[in-house]
Amino acid sequence: MTADKEKKASRHNMMAKKSDRRAFLKGMSMAAAAGSAALTAGCIPSVEAASSEELQLRWQEFFKKNYRLMTQQEKDATVARLERLAKLRNDLDVQVGSYPPLENVLYGYAFNITRCEGFMECVTACVKENNLDRKTNTQYIRIFEMEPGQLDPSTGDGQYYHEVPVENAFYMGTQCFHCEKAPCTRACPTKATWKEPDGIVVVDYDWCIGCRYCQAACPYYGRRFNWGKPEIPAKELTTRQHYLGNRIRPVGKMEKCTFCIQRTRKGRLPACVEACPTGARVFGNLLDPESEIRYVLRHKKVFRMKEELGTQPKFWYFID
Amino acid sequence: MAKILLLPFILLAFFLSFTVTAASEKSFLDVVKQSGDTFDTRAVVLVKVVTKETVLSKEEDQRGAFRVLARKRQIERYKCSSCHSGKAVTARRGLELSHGDIVLEHGSDGRGLSCIDCHHADERDYLEDKKGRKIDLDHSYQLCGQCHFRQKRDWLGGAHGKRLANWAGERVVYNCTTCHNPHSPRFEKRFPATYSVPLD
Repeated sequence: MTADKEKKASRHNMMAKKSDRRAFLKGMSMAAAAGSAALTAGCIPSVEAASSEELQLRWQEFFKKNYRLMTQQEKDATVARLERLAKLRNDLDVQVGSYPPLENVLYGYAFNITRCEGFMECVTACVKENNLDRKTNTQYIRIFEMEPGQLDPSTGDGQYYHEVPVENAFYMGTQCFHCEKAPCTRACPTKATWKEPDGIVVVDYDWCIGCRYCQAACPYYGRRFNWGKPEIPAKELTTRQHYLGNRIRPVGKMEKCTFCIQRTRKGRLPACVEACPTGARVFGNLLDPESEIRYVLRHKKVFRMKEELGTQPKFWYFID
Repeated sequence: MAKILLLPFILLAFFLSFTVTAASEKSFLDVVKQSGDTFDTRAVVLVKVVTKETVLSKEEDQRGAFRVLARKRQIERYKCSSCHSGKAVTARRGLELSHGDIVLEHGSDGRGLSCIDCHHADERDYLEDKKGRKIDLDHSYQLCGQCHFRQKRDWLGGAHGKRLANWAGERVVYNCTTCHNPHSPRFEKRFPATYSVPLD
């Protein structure tokens, strides 16, 4: 029903509008849908494999704009298409959101290196919440076991697996630091990654071409690449998703921590903060003088990693 | 000729503009520091409503009173006075009711705490601090804070402990005993929940 309507509407638009390049391409592609399997091999399956509805949705998805250029109407449309595609392709009922940032909010994060004991419950919570690929063991968060006297995680052990906490060691977690002057966003050739007004650095997965320049530009190893199609057990899928957040990434895209944008924009804590058994993680609004994060910045001894680079991360480490 | 004379000035102006921009380069922290207006966190529409039982704190943080997870419901055999009432207990139930399962590892080695260092000796439904104040089990931070005053200060401010579910909305925090077993408060050693593979 709605697909039919959309079809009609798009046809109507094509007739009414002056033909620009995008519309022309869209028209062309629709007309050529049946015969163009060879041309699009790789992105689109053979015609026999997919229903006509799915094919149409995919074409429309292929020619959508960058998220930042979309009107709310267009965002709603693409979100509806993504939900329908998830149902058609994998029989998954997901709710993809595209809700905007809250006003007067700038997210900040603090990590207590005295309190963290390396239980890594944050990591499992993150993997589950953000629908990360279980096959390649993708993780946004890394916890390093550090020797006293060191503060650079590259000197620590990021692959420990033994009973924790160990005597005479401390634990330091890293993830995307959501830099105010994020080098990754400047490296992107397709403007597929940017900083949102609430400070969250996001990726438009459909505009990412997978060149990994951003990964090379990030001094904190905050970005991850999808080498394959993410494999997630259907039972463990987080169905509340956000367009810029935990929706299932296509193969060959860049992804990263989004401060759980799908949660935090609804007032919830990120999954890692909620899961932390020791209370080592503090999250809040930097623009609220009475928030916990501002208390930490005011009263605790804080530092940021590689501050000399001038990237201005919104992620602080502190000690008790 | 005139153009050539002007050139040094143009260059000078060019470099000056650079230094000026460098000096006035702003950090987002300037904006953060200037944000004087209190953000109304209760205006944020929450999707996750806290359904656990909470009590209003008896002490205040920077915003005033906040909510703390309740404790008494979690204690299996509360009220304590239902047994500690002077009435006789049959020998058969003695073992079950004598708290033999509690391991007390609290306080430094050699001079650890005993039961009545925290529990009220007479009114068993309450705790008692060193000044003799009767303390409700839902407000144990008042008791813990007499020794762990640094932790209590940080807990009130938000640098120790954690909030429940939401960063916005009314502040609901874990109480001391949500995370710490009061009888042996240090976390036990255990294996991590997962492991990491090398980065690609």
